[in-house]
Amino acid sequence: MEFAELIKTPRADGVVLHRPFMPNVEGTLCLTGHHLILSSRQDNTEELWLLHSNIDSIEKRFVGSLGSIIVKCKDLRVIQLDIPGMEECLNIASSIEALSTLDSVSLMYPFFYRPMFEVLEDGWNSFLPQNAFKGLESMTDEWRLSEVNKDFSVCSSYPSLVVVPKDVDDDALRKVATFRHGGRFPVLSYYHSKNGMVMMRAGQPLAGTNGRRCKEDEKLINATLRPGKRGYIIDTRTINVAQQAKARGGGFESEANYPQWRRIHKSIERYNVLQESLIKLVEACNDQSHSMDRWLSKLEASNWLSHVREILTTACLAAQCIDREGASVLVHGTEGTDSTLQVTSLAQIILDPSCRTIKGFQRLVEREWIQAGHPFQQRCAQSAYSNSKPRHEAPVFLLFLDCVWQILRQFPCSFEFNESFLVLLFEHAYASQFGTFLCNCAAERARLFLPEKTVSLWSWMNRPQELEHLTNPLYEANSLVIWPSVAPQSLLLWEGVFLRWNRSSKCLDEAYDEMVHIIEYNKELQNKVNCLRRQLAELETDEPVLRTP
Amino acid sequence: MSGSSGTITIKCKDMRVIQFDIPGMEQCLNIAHSIEILSCLDNVCKMYPFFYKPTDSNLPKQWGLSTPETHYSKMKDLHKKWRLSSVNRDYSVCPSYPPAVIVPSSIGDDVLIKAAKFRQGGRFPVLCYYHRKNGMVIVRSSQPLTGANRKRCSEDELLLQAVIEGSDKGYIIDMRSSQQAQQAWMTGGGFESKSCYERWKRLHRHMERGKVLQESLIKLVEACSDESHNMDRWLSKLENSKWLSHVQTALSTAGLLAECVERDGHSALVHGYEGTDCSLLISTLAQLIVDPSCRSLEGFLALLEREWLQGGHPFQQRCAHSAFSHARLQQESPVFLLLLDSVWQLWRQFPLALGFSEVLLLRLATEAYASDYGTFLCNNDQERCAAGVKDRTHCLFQSLLKPTERDYYSNPLYEPTELAIWPSVHPQSLQLWKGFFLRWTEQARLLEEVQEEIRNMVIKWGKLALS
Repeated sequence: MEFAELIKTPRADGVVLHRPFMPNVEGTLCLTGHHLILSSRQDNTEELWLLHSNIDSIEKRFVGSLGSIIVKCKDLRVIQLDIPGMEECLNIASSIEALSTLDSVSLMYPFFYRPMFEVLEDGWNSFLPQNAFKGLESMTDEWRLSEVNKDFSVCSSYPSLVVVPKDVDDDALRKVATFRHGGRFPVLSYYHSKNGMVMMRAGQPLAGTNGRRCKEDEKLINATLRPGKRGYIIDTRTINVAQQAKARGGGFESEANYPQWRRIHKSIERYNVLQESLIKLVEACNDQSHSMDRWLSKLEASNWLSHVREILTTACLAAQCIDREGASVLVHGTEGTDSTLQVTSLAQIILDPSCRTIKGFQRLVEREWIQAGHPFQQRCAQSAYSNSKPRHEAPVFLLFLDCVWQILRQFPCSFEFNESFLVLLFEHAYASQFGTFLCNCAAERARLFLPEKTVSLWSWMNRPQELEHLTNPLYEANSLVIWPSVAPQSLLLWEGVFLRWNRSSKCLDEAYDEMVHIIEYNKELQNKVNCLRRQLAELETDEPVLRTP
Repeated sequence: MSGSSGTITIKCKDMRVIQFDIPGMEQCLNIAHSIEILSCLDNVCKMYPFFYKPTDSNLPKQWGLSTPETHYSKMKDLHKKWRLSSVNRDYSVCPSYPPAVIVPSSIGDDVLIKAAKFRQGGRFPVLCYYHRKNGMVIVRSSQPLTGANRKRCSEDELLLQAVIEGSDKGYIIDMRSSQQAQQAWMTGGGFESKSCYERWKRLHRHMERGKVLQESLIKLVEACSDESHNMDRWLSKLENSKWLSHVQTALSTAGLLAECVERDGHSALVHGYEGTDCSLLISTLAQLIVDPSCRSLEGFLALLEREWLQGGHPFQQRCAHSAFSHARLQQESPVFLLLLDSVWQLWRQFPLALGFSEVLLLRLATEAYASDYGTFLCNNDQERCAAGVKDRTHCLFQSLLKPTERDYYSNPLYEPTELAIWPSVHPQSLQLWKGFFLRWTEQARLLEEVQEEIRNMVIKWGKLALS
């Protein structure tokens, strides 16, 4: 209906596709409402099946009457389409531009996608907050599940169910919500079963220049303190930024009103600073100039690794407070939807071995990012190649995945998933046929009936044939807290994402497959050995029987 | 080494830093003094390899993996156009060459003697690699001593002509910029001019050497020890050290040399000034790129033996001091370390192509600077014979290939391939060799445990598969 209006030329023949590390293919290009499809002329297979929502920007080039469209994708891939005929090329280019900049969520592909596989376990129901709470209940009775936000009226970005201290009633919560940015009152993020300490997260307190206070807010977070013990507030803004926030109605928890809490300020960058950093980094990676000095300069100038370091350091700090100091922690920045979530989710990777399993990590992403209201739609609207003026875009989730990858690299046997798993999550956050990363918060998802109308990423990913490729063959479950090194020398550029299309990974893939093969064969042989040992043991016990006359 | 009341901090050539707390100021000073003297001994025969007695083996009957004679006799394809010359049997023609070298069959010993006088240090062009696929070769030498008078040497020209006999041209890869090559006239050196060496095309590739490399290493090690935890500072310091630029130049020049032979199908001559440093670096790397037999564990060690030990790289001088030394630097330069780093980059880009693992490279990096074995002692074959190294010390390479040891150094993912492996020299493809430069950090130990686990798994698999 609407799509047909936007498509000026639905198909073109004789189009040549150029992709990194693969031979060029000639075929027929088709434009549908959601995809760019190229089918090869030779064997009629689909060589390219690209979601319009994955397109960051396009460039047109003309050499004589041959037009080329260079498509730059959000997953950092760059492909080229050579289209014979200037008019056709222009039509296709403008169609692609229109289709890739649709604003309305309900026009997005997940609403039209029909899965080709059987949905065995519905991902929409895999990680419901009420089920997660059952696990908490078995460990402690100090918390309760509140439905105060059932209709999303108290906090528009929170889910309908939140976990709060048992002794704080819903009325108190409503009051606290008026004191926190975006209504994001402090809720439970993580319970550390080893010592009963907790991590909570919130938006900034709206203290303002008048130094407003809210007794209910103080009571709420003090409820998590053990008698005589202090807690830590980790503010992801520098003290200057936090003080400037007062002028705009925000602020921080003053010592006077929160005497039992020690405040620590970090400096995690946000918004356009992060987007700039990503753009510069990608530009450095694409630099073909061959100068080592220039590469290292540009890498440094992008500051990307500095951001990774800062976030990891803050997460380590939060984890230290909980595990080593045995104190409770409250984390917040300004809005509580970006750096806050990076810190709380990374701290859980450090502290909680169950977050390092595949299901555990999915649960973590669901709880700390998706349900917690990280505005994916806004943040992942554009990636590094976009030409339009950035509004709310920022690679916050990508930075989180980068930090996880750094820890994965430092502790290769402690994670059930491998690098491919993290790269897959990066891709789907920016463009996907699944509805998991659509919208900005639970309220929007409910309004659009996402669980009924779209398929969950987890439904597809948790099938055995997919999990096989995402599992880490070196995984050995342990119950340790793992402390990553944050020395700059220990942090590496995430080649799997940033140099993915600049260098062929064929040799590395072969090496990985070989490693998997060796480990499997080893297990097989080990089983054989055990079997033979058992047989030997049986024979030995039989012998005395034979000897007796 | 710095001794203050009670504490001696020892900074090792393998980048390790150890601290001893010694009670008593006088004792501490005495110990420090003794260590200083003992670590600066000059006389080769007083070095430990002459006293080392491993528990499990006697002095080997055969020292080293092979000799130029056995190497030549194995390569039957070579025999038609190339011969083994013993003109240097008493090291009088070239003190840094082995007693036997491979030269064109049509060139007699008398020509060689005259050509040697025309080359720095007597290092006349000799064969270092024969490419079976197309019969092309790599030869290496030192710079020609043309000098300010533009001297010529018809024997040298004859020799080089014989190298490209049957072909239309050859390439000369000069490891100096064209400006440096011209300035070399002032000090008695020079380059092969177009008029005298007609069918040779000269390509200049500037490669740093000597003090510049040593400075680079010192700066890099300093950056790695920086505890300041500032990401910008780390990247700045890494860039300023320029170490990775040197690695990039080494790999890209080796790639060029390999291309001349394998893709362009022409023989090539490689030299710098003395022919004992960068020339060997490039010729070694080029052989790894194009010759699969150099990539197995034995093949690689044999390659090192041929190009570096017999080839006369002055290990004693180059590895006298490493990055932490306070002493006034003389001839030190981490050329061999640069080679091992470049090989490590190859291994990282082609994890299945090399028969040995990073562990071997780390072992060699340590042994070159300080060793129980006699392999890296002295500066060339002549000195080793004179000091009796081959009779009275143990051979490192033999020890590495022992059945009990070799599993440890092998690459479990090795799949021999006949193809050439062309490394990417984009800056983004090259990484800092953490295994060596950040070896003694906490993180490195954890990763080493993991790698140990993988190795044990593979060794167990090997044993189970056999039984």
